This record gives sequence, structure tokens and C-alpha cells, in this order.
Amino acid sequence: MKVLVCIKQVPDMESKFKINANGTWFDENDLAYRINEYDEYAIEQAVQLKEQLNNVDITVLSVGPARVKEALKKALAMGCDDAVHIEDEQSSLKEPFQIANFISDFAKDKGFDIVFTGMQSQDRGSGQVGIILSELLNMSCVSTIADFEYKDGITVKRELEGGLKSVIKVATPVVLTCQLGLNTPRYPTLPNIMKAKKKELLTIPSTELFSVDSSYEIVNFYHPQKSGGSLILEGTVSELVDKLIGILKEKTSVL
Amino acid sequence: MKLLLVGEYQEKKLLNVTYDLVGFANKLGAEKVMVASGYESDLPKFDGKLYLANANDVGEYNPSVHKQMILDVVEKENPDVIVFIHSSFGWDLAPRVATALKAAQFTEVIDFKDGSFIVPSCNSKLRRELKAKTNKTVITIQAGAFSPLEEPIGSVSVENITPLGSSNVEFVSYEEAEAKGLDLTKADIIVTAGRGVGKKDNIPIIQALATKLGGELGASRPVADNEWVDHSHQVGTTGQTVSPKLYIACGVSGAIQHLAGMKKSEFIVAINTDKDAPIGEIADVLIVADVLQFVPALTNKL
Amino acid sequence: MEISREIYWNVGNSLTTIALMYFFTFLAMGYVVYLFYKRYKVYQLGKPLNRTDNLAERIKFMLTNMAGQIKVRRRSRPGIAHSIFFWSFTILFIGTFLVFVQADITDLFFDYVFLKGDFYKVYSFSLDIAGLVGIIMLGGLFIRRFVFKPKSLVTSKEDTIIHILLFAILITGFLIEGVRMAATELKTNPEWMIFSPVGMVIANMLSQVSDSVLLLSHKIIWWVHLFIVLAFFIVIPVTKLRHMFTITANYVFKDNGPTGKLVTLNMEDETIESFGVSKVTDFTWKDIFDADACINCSRCQDVCPANATGKPLSPMSVINRIGNAAFNDPNINLIDDIGRDSIWSCTTCRACEDICPANNEHVNKIIDFRRNLVLMEGEFAGDEVMQAMDNVEVNGNPMGLAMASRGDWAIGLDVVIMSDTYEIVKNPVDVLYYVGCYASFDARNQKIAKNFVEICNASGIKVGILGKEEKCCGEPIRKMGNEYLYQELAKENIENLGKYNVLKIVTTCPHCFNTLNKDYRDLGFETQVEHYTVFLDRLEKENRIPMKEEAFDCTYHDSCYLVRHNDIDDQPRSLLNAAGANIIEMDKSRKNTSCCGAGGGRILAEEHLGTKINIARVNMAQETGAPTLISNCPFCLTMFEDGIKMADCEDSLVVKDLSEIIVERLKKS
Repeated sequence: MKVLVCIKQVPDMESKFKINANGTWFDENDLAYRINEYDEYAIEQAVQLKEQLNNVDITVLSVGPARVKEALKKALAMGCDDAVHIEDEQSSLKEPFQIANFISDFAKDKGFDIVFTGMQSQDRGSGQVGIILSELLNMSCVSTIADFEYKDGITVKRELEGGLKSVIKVATPVVLTCQLGLNTPRYPTLPNIMKAKKKELLTIPSTELFSVDSSYEIVNFYHPQKSGGSLILEGTVSELVDKLIGILKEKTSVL
Repeated sequence: MKLLLVGEYQEKKLLNVTYDLVGFANKLGAEKVMVASGYESDLPKFDGKLYLANANDVGEYNPSVHKQMILDVVEKENPDVIVFIHSSFGWDLAPRVATALKAAQFTEVIDFKDGSFIVPSCNSKLRRELKAKTNKTVITIQAGAFSPLEEPIGSVSVENITPLGSSNVEFVSYEEAEAKGLDLTKADIIVTAGRGVGKKDNIPIIQALATKLGGELGASRPVADNEWVDHSHQVGTTGQTVSPKLYIACGVSGAIQHLAGMKKSEFIVAINTDKDAPIGEIADVLIVADVLQFVPALTNKL
Repeated sequence: MEISREIYWNVGNSLTTIALMYFFTFLAMGYVVYLFYKRYKVYQLGKPLNRTDNLAERIKFMLTNMAGQIKVRRRSRPGIAHSIFFWSFTILFIGTFLVFVQADITDLFFDYVFLKGDFYKVYSFSLDIAGLVGIIMLGGLFIRRFVFKPKSLVTSKEDTIIHILLFAILITGFLIEGVRMAATELKTNPEWMIFSPVGMVIANMLSQVSDSVLLLSHKIIWWVHLFIVLAFFIVIPVTKLRHMFTITANYVFKDNGPTGKLVTLNMEDETIESFGVSKVTDFTWKDIFDADACINCSRCQDVCPANATGKPLSPMSVINRIGNAAFNDPNINLIDDIGRDSIWSCTTCRACEDICPANNEHVNKIIDFRRNLVLMEGEFAGDEVMQAMDNVEVNGNPMGLAMASRGDWAIGLDVVIMSDTYEIVKNPVDVLYYVGCYASFDARNQKIAKNFVEICNASGIKVGILGKEEKCCGEPIRKMGNEYLYQELAKENIENLGKYNVLKIVTTCPHCFNTLNKDYRDLGFETQVEHYTVFLDRLEKENRIPMKEEAFDCTYHDSCYLVRHNDIDDQPRSLLNAAGANIIEMDKSRKNTSCCGAGGGRILAEEHLGTKINIARVNMAQETGAPTLISNCPFCLTMFEDGIKMADCEDSLVVKDLSEIIVERLKKS
């Protein structure tokens, strides 16, 4: 069985983000990078499937600048067999549709049975690439899976709102996007880290792959006015209660 | 501007969040038309047209057929923007429709300004303002961002539709949530009790606020260790890491291990008698007051 | 006639006696050698390790410690009893040896007899007193073990046998002397008897016994004594009596340090298939040998902070289980046998190693198990530890906070960021302050960082920091078994530190200090490193810190990583005294300090088992009655702040870092 895992390298969400010179994205300096959390579940699920069935080949792929090779190496250390780096220095400014087209151009003739990817990225959070990819490759797609079982075919559980789940059966070829709670990603053991150094890592410049025009423009990218920024309120209890309720109504959607 | 709103049904009922779509349309003052796979027994209340596919035939989760359903209506109505709720239903379907229409898609829209849509990035720390270049646009809107303030009124005129197409997934069943140890990571609102609460007997005060808000009770490390609250409620590096829409920290000083577990929360309110408590550094609002006085008053007023 | 004793009196020095005696003796010794050889084969199951470099120094250490019974006397009462018993037995052994020298060498070949006259008087008197004292000490130890039965002392069949043999040897020895003297000196030279006082008492008691009975009894008891001694020899290799040899050897084979140094695994060697230890054969021969040096005194267990608070960890049991596996079933998985809860509970405080009279090395074995769990199985002490390691990997600190903000605590302070080359050239720094994760990010500990800078400024010392170029030193990561991540961090830190030609690095964290000063040396790091208490103490003695003495009462907690790992206990006290402190010491202070619970990487973990180690220590501080507890480690400070809250004694005890005491007393200029 051939499995493709699509991952994205994102900055750690604890970072202090500064807007770049063009006002289109954040400045990439002084950021700590990691594998997108949702993609870690995708890698782990693929590796677990490999451990279950044995005859599974996992290709891990990522679109991005040179630094994403580190993310691919970690995925290899977790158990993927080979890696593909679609090199693109401007990937953070490319749209999900453009990214999906790079991947589909690479993947279209490879005969992948299952594609695992995270349901969204922690930085942009569009949640589109996986699903668009399924449309381009003409594969079925189920998003937001919190459970996966391979037994007489694939049965997944989608995570819906309020703790509810839906049980879905789907046949290969299929794209599955992974949600928090699907599994606990393993910590790579040292022998696997060392084996990973020898695994194949293919680099393909994105310019060699199918490219589409952008569909939107980025008008602005900014920090929202901090709705308080540690607004310190003092006063009588009833004054404070009224003030807080007003703020909650204005700044949040919970009331 | 004309909007095609995609309504949602689940377990044979119209989901209330569908009215957010109406609220969005009203905010923009746009013309609206709705499409849904649902049931005539539970129709939405608004004045306008509803294209209804029978969910008994077409299913509640059936992406390839639902996609076709929407494309059929797009063909008929030629909307400028197709609007989904940013829900497990909406974010699953929107990209399929956008790809078919070669339309720009914007995810989790929270505002609209001068022809641009505004979406959050990086755990809501940042904002992107995006303007489509394509003829049509597909968007998902954040639930709660456009909720209408008024009660829904009106009646729809229904046109039944039967989209063609075959399923490529098989819906088996729904599964209710198991009572499997408290999962705070899914809570939208968390009200946490810290040491400032004083003693175990005061915990119900905090619980009452959590319940009133429809949220969950959280606990700081010392509170859990002292067993005022069960460990499963603990928030922090050695408890759960949470990112709710609203986090209210009651009498929590803000030790670094606790902050690490909740600082991703979208809006943080801290109640503490100490103006300089470390939690003030990440709180959006710091209420300088005694938890035992402020919290009951707040609960009553809500 | 000069006072002397006829060797082989009554038993005869004919060939029969001598030959038989030597025959049985050699037979027994041969068997003993054989038994030790079998044990040697088991030690060889372990990997090679060089512990014979600097042999002269090692032997000198062994002689000093064996003769002085230094570590034995760390527990004074049983320790002194054993020491005196040991010295007595040594004297008796020398006595017998001298008999052999005279009988088989000097008299036999050179007709030279020296056991006579004044020398003999001293000789005989010493042996008698030694024997008597030996019996008394043995009696005391016997009563302690079998009557008082201290709770942690394990008593087995072999202890009974050993006591019986030792009593028998000493008693039959005196009987032989007494009977001999009753048949000889009592009658012929009674004035000699005073030089064998115990023998004299026995001889007097036997004064009415007939000569023939005396002679026969003497022969019998003499041979009985011989065979008991031979039985004693044979029992040595198969019981804890082997410690006479194994502990002696252990002193020679000691770890030449520095204290607590871990083996830096070779991550580049691609032929290594397994990391850490799960089986006996993964250990070195020395690790197996330690089991044979262990005499189950249980002192290590008694001082273990984890054991004291109900964790299943017993350092003694770890050593024993390794020995048990080595000698019975070397293929078992030691980690399953000893248990993960035990392995993860260790705080690496090294109280066990410090108190162990056998000089055993408990801690590194536990870390070897942890290395196996992490590097080979991807298993951690808990999910929260895995998360912390992940955070360190991504952001260089276990809290997972933005690495770019690591130096933010220093904004507005008179501190230079080393990468700010323009500033550095204008104002070269005197020291580089290695801040550490807690002082960089934790609000309570940031105060310490700011204090240190303030004290340096007031003393005219220019401080530089790495700021966002600094990463976690890797210590808790390494102690929790993740050698790979530790080496990645260390290499990066060493590279960054190497960019700036600093002469000296000072740190406020004993763990960072220990790691940079010892662990990093294996990776080529050469810069001088000091803990701030040593650095400031020197400045204070040079009168460079403008501090106004102000009296106060306090108790001082010696951090494990300062006192046991680095012998630093005077300098903090000297600083405190200069500040005006009246230090009310806890019972467990200096080398006997009791851990706060955060070492060994446990600062990253949740404490689920037993009671809280930090509360136990806070209670000890409270017992002194002092209102302030002083510490100088970010882990200790964090644990004590938590502990004071949890023990509900915020009204009676406050914890402060030493730097806070100094800052409070800085003269405002």
C-alpha cells in the first residue's frame, strides 16, 4: 500500500510575531519552527498503519523553503520511508489552491492509496489544502478524523461539534485530514533518528510543478488592537461586573 | 451583493448556528438565498428562498452529492459569495465547492470591510485582510462572530431540489461523546479556580459561574494538588493545555506552568486582589477584586 | 628467661601438624580463589572500563579510606563500632601474620625469633585488647542487628552465619590462649600473664583443671579454631564478607570524577545498535562489581529523598537487582525487574553515593536505564516530560515560551547582549551571565536574574548575556535520559558561547553550573565557569560589594548540586554571614542536605507517588524555627515556594534566594 503524508512546517505559536516589511505575513526571523501539530497526527497515523499492515510505503512531503527539510527529517525519524521536499522560498505567500496543485502534480501518477494530512495549519488555518488535493486527484475525502481503523476497509470517525462524532466508511483512494485526539505522536527513538539520516529526501523546485495564478490579494496583515492589553479595572464590585459584561459582549462572541 | 447561504441540519434538526448566516447577510445588507440538505419538518425562520434537498435521500454528510447540490443552486442563482459556517460540516464542504468554481476561499471570516474579508491567523494573534480576485468567493464564517441579536422571524419559500451524483463515502451513524475524563481542550469557556479561592468550600462559587456561562471548571495546580477540585480539571503544563474563547482565572496568580497551559486562550479575564499578579501580563482584563465577592455578583448579573 | 611464647606449643611443630595445617589451609584458599574466580567471570559479562589509571593515587585513596574507615563513620554509632572492630581484627590479623613470619621464615631459616621480650609484651597485650574490644564491638553490632532490629536493616541467614563464625573465631582464640596459659604461664611465669590480660582471666578460671585435660582441650580447640577460620575463608566469597576484598577494590576502582560526571555517549558511531542499559550485559564490569561490594547496610536507602516519601525507589535494591540478574539470569530486562516508577523517581541528589561506605555508584546506573527508555523506546517519565522535551527542542526552554523573548527580562537593565557587537567593543564585559531557563522566563526567578545584575553593577562588574542565543543547558533533559537532545543543545550553546571570547561565565543555577563546568567539557568546552555564590563571595571578601550588614535569622538549604556535586557549602554561608545572617542549621545540612525534589529532571515531571519531597524539606526548615529559608537554586526556590503554599505555612516561613538578601542590603549610592 502507498501512503502519502503531507506536512507543513509552522512557527511555534508561542513566538512573538512581527509583521514583515510588506505587511503580507510575519517576519520569519527569530522564530522557532516545528511540524504543524495536526500534521504530526497524520504522520503518526501513517506509521501506525504501517506497523499494522507491514507492506506499506510512506512518502512524506512538504512544500516550503530549505528549512522544511528539518521537518521532513523528523517525519522520517518517526517512521516514514522517504521524503519529498517541494522547494519554494515563497510558500508562505502562496495560496492553498496553489500549494494543492504542486502536490497534486507530484502525486498524480504515484498511485497513492491514502493521503494523510492535518486538517489545518496552526499559522494560516485555512484547512483547505487536503480537501482541494482530493478534488484535484479525484479521490474521496473525509476531514477532521479523530479515529481511524483499518479492518475490512477504512472506518473513520469525524469529530463534530459538542463532542459528537460521526462514523464514516470510505474506500481507497482517499484523503483523510486529521484532528487533535486522533493519536499521540511518538517521540522518535535514537536508532530511528539515525536511520532517518540515510533515507531518501528528494528535492523538487516548485517551479517544475504545475502552477496556478493567485485568486486573492493580501490587503493587510496586522496585530489586532489588543482588546485590553491587560486592562486593569478597579472599582466597586457592581461597577466591575457591569464593565466586564460590557467588555465580554464587545470583544468576544460568548455572550 | 448576493449571498448563497449553506444551512446545516443534524440528527433531523436545523442547527441554530444556521442563523449566523442570516446575521452575516443582514450585517452586510446583502441579498440572500439559502440551500440546505434538510427536512421540511424543521424549516428555518427568515424571509427568503430556501433550496431544500431531502436529507432522508441525500444524507446529512455526503460531500460529493452536497457539493453538487450547491453547484446546482449556484448555477441558478449566480451568487457573488457562497457562505458556509466554519463548522465540521462547512469547512469540509467549502473547499470542494471553491475548487469546482475556481473561486477564492477565505476561512473563518470574522469581519467584512471595504470589500475585504478579515480572517484570524496564528491562534487569533494576527489578522489578515483579503480581497478576492475571482468572480465568485467562497467563505466560512466563524460561529458566533455574526450571531443575530434578534429572535429569528419570517418564513421561507421552499424549492425542492434533487441533486444527482453518487456518494463516495458511507455514513454509518452518529456517536455521542463518552464521559471519558474531562477534556478541557474542547471547551469554549473555562472558569478556573486558583488558590485565591481560599478553600474547597468556595469552589461551588466558581463552578456556578462556569455553569452559568455554559463552560467548564478549570483548576490551577495547587487547587488540584490540594484536592479542592479533581485533577482532571487541572490546567497547566502538567495538566491540560487549553485555548478556549474565554478564560476566566479566579484567584490565579499566574505561575509560569499555569500560564503555559492557557495563554493561547482567545480572551483572558483575571480576577485577583493583586494588581501585579503575573497573570496580569497575559490577561486581556485584570479585575482587581476579591474573587469571593466578584464572582457571585457576576454570576447573578449574567 | 625472656617473655615469649612457644609457637605450635602442644600441637607440635612436626611435619604432620605443619603439613596438615598448610594442606587444609591451601585447600581452603584454593577453593576461595576458585569461588572468587567464578564471580570474576560474572563481572566480565559487563563491558570494559578503565579504572586503573593513576594507580598510585587510587591505592593511596584506598589505604587512607580503608585504614581511616572514613565513609563507614558517616553514621557514627554503628560506624565507630565497625571501625573499631575492623581495626581490632586488623591487629589480630597482623598478629597471626607475624607468627607465620617467625615460624616459617625467620626462625626456620635464620633462627631468628622476635616474638620475645618487650616486643612480645606489646604484641601480646595489643592482641588481647584488640580481641576483647573486637568481641565487645561485635556484641554491640550483634545486639543492634538482632535485638534492636533497625527498620531498614535487612537480616538474612548469611548474617547469622557470619556472626556465629566471627564470635567463634574470637572466642576459640581466647580459649586457646587461656588454656595454654593455664598449662604454662600460670604455673611457671605468672608475672608474664598480665601482658595477656584476657588470657590471664581465663587461665585463672581454669587453675584447677588437670594438665592432661588442659593439653587435650588445647589441641582440640586449636584445630577447631583452624577449621572455623578456614570455614570463615570459604564463606567470604559467597557472603557479604567478600566486602573485605570488594570494597577495598571498589576504593581502588573509584570514579575519578569529577563528581557525578556522566558518560557522553558517542552519537556518531553508527555501529552502536543499542543505547543505555536494559540488560546486565549493557553495563560495564564495574556496575556489576558494585553489587558484590554492597553489604546491604541500607544507608543509601535511608537517605534517599524518594524512598523517604513513599516512592518505590531504593538505591540498594537497584544495586542488588543488578547483582541478582548478573549471577542468576543475565538475560532479564532489568528495567522491568526494577520497575519504571523506581527508575523515574530518582532526583540524582547523590545522597546515596555520598553516604555509601562501599563507594558504590548508584545514580549513573539509573540514568543508564532512563537512556534506554528514552532513546530506544521513546518512553518518558510522563507525557508532561515528553512535552517539555518537545518544547526544549522547538524553543530551547521546557516551558515552550518564545525563544526570541529569552532575554526580555533584561530590557532596561545595565546588561549587554553579547551579539550586540558595537556595545561589546565599547564596553567589554567582565563576565558572561548564563541565565538559565527559569531565571529567563519564570516571574519568581527573573527577580534573581535582575538581582544578580544589580549586585554586579553595584560592584563594578560589567555583565553580558546571550539573550535569545542562549538555550536550555540541557541538564534536566540529560538526566531524564535524552542524551541525543542534550548533545544537540550543548553543541549549539558551546558554539554560541564560543563566538565571544569570554574569560569567565557565571550562573545563578547550580544545574547550569554543573553542566557547563563538567558535562560540557567532554564536548570541548573550555571556558571557566563559576556559580554566583563563589563569584560573589570572592568579591565580598575583596570588599567590592557595597553591602550594609543587617542582622536576621534564617536557615540555609544546601542545594544538592552545589554541596554534593560541587563541594560548595562554605561560600554561601560566608556571604550570608557578611550580610548579617544568624544561620540556624537544619539537622540535614551541608553534605547531609535533603533534596528539594526537583533534581534529576524531576522539575519537569508531576509527582504522583507517595508524599511530596518538597513539603518534607519545608517541614525540616520549619523545625529550625527560623522565619526565612534561604536557597540559591531556581529549582529549590520554585519547589519551596510551592511547598510552603502546600504545607500552609506562609505565615511562618518565607523562602528567599541568597541574591535577594544581598540586594536588600546594597547601599544606595
